[in-house]
Amino acid sequence: MISLEKVSFGYGEGSSTVRDISFHIEKGEFVAILGANGAGKTTTVKLIDGLLKPTKGKVVINGLDTSKTRVSERARHVGFLFQNPDRQICRNTVREELAFGLETVKKDMSREDIDRRVGEVMESFGFSGDEEPFSLSRGERQRVALASVITVQPEIMILDEPTTGLDYRECSHIMDVISDMNRTMGTTVVMVCHDMEVVMSYARRALVMAGGRLLADGTVRSVFRDTELMLKASLLPPQITELSMRLGKGFENADTVGEMTARICSEMQVRRAGR
Amino acid sequence: MIKIESLTFQYDGGGEPALRDISLDVEPGGFIGIIGPAGAGKTTLARAIGGMVPHHYKGDFYGSVIVDSMDTVENRMTDISRVVGTVFQDVESQIISSVVEDEMLYGLENFGIPRGEIEERLTFALRQVGIEDLRCRTIASLSGGQRQKVAIASIIALRPKVLLLDEPTGELDPGSSRMVFSLLKEMNERYGLTVIVIEQKIMLLSEFAKQLIVLNEGKIYCSGPVRQVLERAKELEGIGVNCPRVASLAISLKEAGCGEMPVCINVDEAETMVRGLLR
Repeated sequence: MISLEKVSFGYGEGSSTVRDISFHIEKGEFVAILGANGAGKTTTVKLIDGLLKPTKGKVVINGLDTSKTRVSERARHVGFLFQNPDRQICRNTVREELAFGLETVKKDMSREDIDRRVGEVMESFGFSGDEEPFSLSRGERQRVALASVITVQPEIMILDEPTTGLDYRECSHIMDVISDMNRTMGTTVVMVCHDMEVVMSYARRALVMAGGRLLADGTVRSVFRDTELMLKASLLPPQITELSMRLGKGFENADTVGEMTARICSEMQVRRAGR
Repeated sequence: MIKIESLTFQYDGGGEPALRDISLDVEPGGFIGIIGPAGAGKTTLARAIGGMVPHHYKGDFYGSVIVDSMDTVENRMTDISRVVGTVFQDVESQIISSVVEDEMLYGLENFGIPRGEIEERLTFALRQVGIEDLRCRTIASLSGGQRQKVAIASIIALRPKVLLLDEPTGELDPGSSRMVFSLLKEMNERYGLTVIVIEQKIMLLSEFAKQLIVLNEGKIYCSGPVRQVLERAKELEGIGVNCPRVASLAISLKEAGCGEMPVCINVDEAETMVRGLLR
């Protein structure tokens, strides 16, 4: 579905933001790209979407070489959420913004179907449709941008920090919507995210980057438990994962509050019984 | 340092007041974390402290905001901004130069800082934020997180009495976010700066702030020392405010009948708590 082969990219002559990275993502995966600021995460997702062309190597999406296909062609397969929603929003009302993607990407869709789909997403996100995007708060604009990507129901969703500026409730809501699309429709999700709790709760695979290179590729749980890797990538594991690693034997894989509570209660019972 | 009395503010054209009857008193040297769900009034409160409300954002303003003995309504933004250094939520709207060094110099020169002092302040701020290597870079070549660090360094170089930051770590990685909060703590403890941070990352606020103010629907929902506020974790989740996982763990263990225990604010405390339970 998504394939990067020995891809390099630099923004200026001699610079190298992404260096010789290769990975393959299958349909239906939920992948998080992790790393410190400047690690090359945003550049990598822009390379996947074809917004940037590799200076070396090859990026292929659904069999299409991104260097040889037009944006309009790729847009039928890929929905991209920018880090800054203001680079994405281009219409005067939320309703128009949500319809815009369908009108341009799904040209054979009837007006009735477009309105129905836009209505469904507006209801799910709690928009009336008449809001002017640029009069909304940063978090609300982020939700508008994400809603417009979701409206199109792309096969692949690339999300560059989708939860930035959102409060806990909004974050849970949009991540549940994305997760639902991933589970029920097989939508492939590639997400850059700095919130390790969100990554732990939703993603299954993690690619870890540092200095433009791919440092690791594995399950989210295995990546977070690799202390040396986390240090090298300037990352911190979620609190409960860190606690479980510190507690050691008997607390392996207790990564959520529920799992940790159950493990502690059971350990307390064992110790009481042994006395 | 900051005294707000019965502040109510409604934006021109806005349906409901963004802030309703807010009163608070921030002592010099305070480190205050402000949290709340979207639409709670956090950014409006920050704008009121920084004087942007009502100078830049017009509307009906009732009550008073006094910053360092200056009434923000009666004083000019130029005077208020010498006391309150603000880092906006949207750093793109704050950065105006094309090169990092120029961005840093812009504020220093406009504030009339003596020429001989400028280099020292500039290098101090860049070093404190850990971006000395970005000094000659163009803003366009920086990542979102790096731009955020530049905005923070530009304000630190001005050495205001109050640092007011609206989601300063929104685009920063976990390591950089901690570094920013460590820096704020140092500025607070070593230089006595009053720090007010609006932040969704409750883990950081809990570890670094001395007091939390929770806003909801334009009002103060609750406020007090961090641990006291986090004791209400369940209630806070109900209004859309998350709590650190280790705080939730302490509450979850209490509910599971493991005994009475104080709420934890970091992993060290949680480890001590669990080892104590298993002893």
